Amino acid sequence: MNAGDRVRVDRDDQTFEGVLLPSSNEAQLVVKLDSGYNVGLDREAATATVLEADVYDIESGDVSDQSTVEFDDDLPTISLISTGGTIASTVDYRTGAVTAQFDAEDVLRAVPELAGLANYRGRVVANILSENMTPSVWQDLAEAIHDEIQAGADGVVVMHGTDTMQFTASAISFMLETPVPIVFTGSQRSADRPSSDNVMNAVAAVEAATSDAAEVMLCMHAAESDDVCALHRGTRARKNHTSRRDAFETIGRKPLGVVDYDAREVTFRREYAERDETALALHADLETDVDLVKFTPGAEPSMLDPVDGAAGLVIEGTGLGHVNTDWIDRIDALVEAGTTVVMTSQCLDGRICDRVYDTGRDLLDAGVIEGEDMLPGTAMVKLMWVLGNRDDPVAAMGKPLAGEITDRSVPWE
Amino acid sequence: MTAEYEYDDLGLVAGLEIHQQLDTATKLFCNCPTALQEPDESSKTISRYLHPTTSELGELDEAALEESQVEREFEYLMYDSTCLVEADDEPPHRVDDEALAVSMEIAQLLDMSVVDQIHVMRKLVIDGSNTSGFQRTMMVATDGEIETSEGPVGVEDLMLEEESAQRLTETESGVRYSLDRLGIPLVEIGTKPDIRSPQQAQEAAERIGMLLRSTGEVRRGLGTIRQDVNVSIAEGARVEIKGVQSLEDIEAIVRNEVGRQAELLEIASELDERDATVGDIQDVTSVFEETDSGVIQGALGDGGKVWAVPLPGFGGLVGREIQPDRRLGTEFSDHAKRHGAGGIFHTDELPAYGVTESEVEALAEAVDLDPAVVGEDTTDAVAIVADDPETAEQAIDAVAKRAETAMDGVPEETRDATEEATTRYLRPLPGAARMYPETDVPPVEPDPETVETPELLTEKTERYQDEFDLDAGLAEQVAYGQRWALFEEAVERGVDATLAAQTVESTITEIRRDGAPVENLTDEHFRDVFALLAEDELAKEGVPNLLSALAENPELSAEAAAEQEDLGSAAEDEVREAVVRVVERNAEQISEEGMAAFSGLMGECMGELRGKADGDVVSDVLREEIGKRAD
Repeated sequence: MNAGDRVRVDRDDQTFEGVLLPSSNEAQLVVKLDSGYNVGLDREAATATVLEADVYDIESGDVSDQSTVEFDDDLPTISLISTGGTIASTVDYRTGAVTAQFDAEDVLRAVPELAGLANYRGRVVANILSENMTPSVWQDLAEAIHDEIQAGADGVVVMHGTDTMQFTASAISFMLETPVPIVFTGSQRSADRPSSDNVMNAVAAVEAATSDAAEVMLCMHAAESDDVCALHRGTRARKNHTSRRDAFETIGRKPLGVVDYDAREVTFRREYAERDETALALHADLETDVDLVKFTPGAEPSMLDPVDGAAGLVIEGTGLGHVNTDWIDRIDALVEAGTTVVMTSQCLDGRICDRVYDTGRDLLDAGVIEGEDMLPGTAMVKLMWVLGNRDDPVAAMGKPLAGEITDRSVPWE
Repeated sequence: MTAEYEYDDLGLVAGLEIHQQLDTATKLFCNCPTALQEPDESSKTISRYLHPTTSELGELDEAALEESQVEREFEYLMYDSTCLVEADDEPPHRVDDEALAVSMEIAQLLDMSVVDQIHVMRKLVIDGSNTSGFQRTMMVATDGEIETSEGPVGVEDLMLEEESAQRLTETESGVRYSLDRLGIPLVEIGTKPDIRSPQQAQEAAERIGMLLRSTGEVRRGLGTIRQDVNVSIAEGARVEIKGVQSLEDIEAIVRNEVGRQAELLEIASELDERDATVGDIQDVTSVFEETDSGVIQGALGDGGKVWAVPLPGFGGLVGREIQPDRRLGTEFSDHAKRHGAGGIFHTDELPAYGVTESEVEALAEAVDLDPAVVGEDTTDAVAIVADDPETAEQAIDAVAKRAETAMDGVPEETRDATEEATTRYLRPLPGAARMYPETDVPPVEPDPETVETPELLTEKTERYQDEFDLDAGLAEQVAYGQRWALFEEAVERGVDATLAAQTVESTITEIRRDGAPVENLTDEHFRDVFALLAEDELAKEGVPNLLSALAENPELSAEAAAEQEDLGSAAEDEVREAVVRVVERNAEQISEEGMAAFSGLMGECMGELRGKADGDVVSDVLREEIGKRAD
């Protein structure tokens, strides 16, 4: 008896007939009844008879033939790169959880609204949930994007799980000099539900990818309604809610731009790098021996023990950029031993200033670099990149390389 | 059409689906209260689109597909009583324990077996009534039975599911819904197709309703219980009728649906005899270029088209009545409307509506039919739709498809109950393909051992008669009403049973009739009133006035209201003073009539005391005082 068989299950004086489904639990038989309802039956107490074997191929589902999309010379060519995540996910019936099983062509099939906006090239770089993302996948992705642009893509849309999208977008921002838009998008509500935000986010991302802004951007819902997507700069975005469609925010400023879904119109609030202004270049090296440590009240200096000998350390300090004064000697020793130490703030919004209070001044004396108004996560990715590519990490960490630092604090803009 | 049918001969098979909202403290998948709101209390509006998805077996549901062919924008009103779960911006919480316990209690009353493991499913619904695009539903129990006077009716299954959002209005681009109702726990009880007569359908529905109310945990009032009826006759087809508003309509709806299916079968056999066919749809706009018909003119003026389908062999049958005031043509029209058209014209009813005889002839010629045999009392027919080009073509195509099925007999479908107890086409029958697992909620292993068995309302009625000596009518009123628990409490603390029963039922009805806002009365108000009665601080005659006063001023305590209304139970000397005043005023009458004056003066005394004295006491004192003077 296998999943996909049509079975009859007798349980006391009751009879259930339907298709056997994979069960997440040894004790239960899960049957999909003809009404469509699933029901779990105690395996011990039930007697099951196979009526017909292999009625359904549960593993792959009955997926219809894929449509062949014709190439239109008048439309731009957009490269769709999938890394997995909710936007390209379907249900895994063994665990009951949502996992990524689709390639980019499936996304085209899943989002028919994309048709007619561009010619598409599909590519799969990874098929992982975004919490399983690693710096080496960032490097694979950077290379894939580079190749796609070199092969003539007029824009790139990267489909990515939302959990760590901001880290990947930051990494790509530092690793690539791009003449075309690179737009990250995903969905907060899985693609297997009619209300998924994947359709609108994908359509808006393609619109942004065909726009004039040669920037690395994140394109996600701007509000709870399906009306406007926000375009966030890759290095300044943060996921600030666990489940809402509009979880992403640009920290410290308004988003770079918006895409109106009804009007299919992309508008920008600020200056951006224009299309074809920059020559394509890839600098994918990373120094991955970099840690991010969050200071909390009472945390012992021994928290820094595992960091000993690391190439880089980003501290998420309190307020303007502080840690317990007991930590200062320890940090001094790290810097002395060659670790590059950058201070950021768990306030997230606002600029580091270690010149106001004694603790800050002592930290500066110990050799800590003020991380300006960089997000802690962005600062960590940047430090990996700077240590892998630049000879002057101290200077490079203090100045903007990919829009990660703003020179004026103007949150109303 | 009013013919009585021999239901046995016709092979009537009917089943019921009863949907009942549960009266739980919170919603099924979040901790929001289940209170309903007024739309103008809404604090925020969001708008969304929905897109169809396939089931876990890769199938697309026909009903969902038809719904999705029109892209619509849905607006949702949010309130201070709704959260991100209703807005589909947060995953559902675990299944509400209280709702699960009540549904198992109901399962027990229906003699059903609770399943070993409950799986929460998503039932695809993309008309916007659920923000997620699906309704969460789970099968809790199967295989029960209820009794009716015409024999037992099996109960197929019991589902626990979330109530949909309330549809408020159509907007320019879609539909507006209110999120207050979304997520209220709802049980759906489906009977087996064991019902053999319209009367039995109604009786079964009443029986299930009584069992549901016996739990004391179901919501009451308009819209909190809904009945769907599934009807088929031999050679007919299963038709699911939605939205039957009241139990009293069930019998008539079943009768009318049986009639419709019988008529459709007759039409099918006549079409067969006539070798009827459905021709190709075509654009006949040119026929109507000079038309005087307002409807067609209007459509053409906006750049519209007229599309037609020739129906050789259908003459006279399109206009045949199949339910009171509904013809086969009305069925065609329902399908056209479903695709956005205003309706259809067909030649059985033409010339009329400004369409002339010569236009009908030209129309027949345009679709290659002989004009001589088109029209009522002839053999052929033509149906037309006038609307914008796309709508007209889609609508006439839907009409042609419905005409095809007319040749086969009765189509399986979901229909909507009308106020006249007839039905109209709503959508295709939903299939199993619209169900897939709700992966955000883990399966639940219920424990039916923990379920208590409530006393049935029928049993309660009998007990009230036996134990408290209530008459049958009052006992039933209290047992089936919503305040039986307050009644029992009152009797417990020593209030006379009949007085307590009247207080929670007939007194409320009376003061409501007199305009008191009784909806303001809380359980606490009743408890306070019973406390005053139990401690003899209130005369029973004062109860209506006190409840009216509390309804008007719900912020007052019963004690304060009694004082304000001067309803304290008067002491005997106070009563005597009042009675003496009345007797002295009427000394002349008493000396003439003696004790015969009693009944007239009794009313005057009670008025003087304004209800704050017990009638028996007043009566005794009055007799005494009249006696003294009448000597």
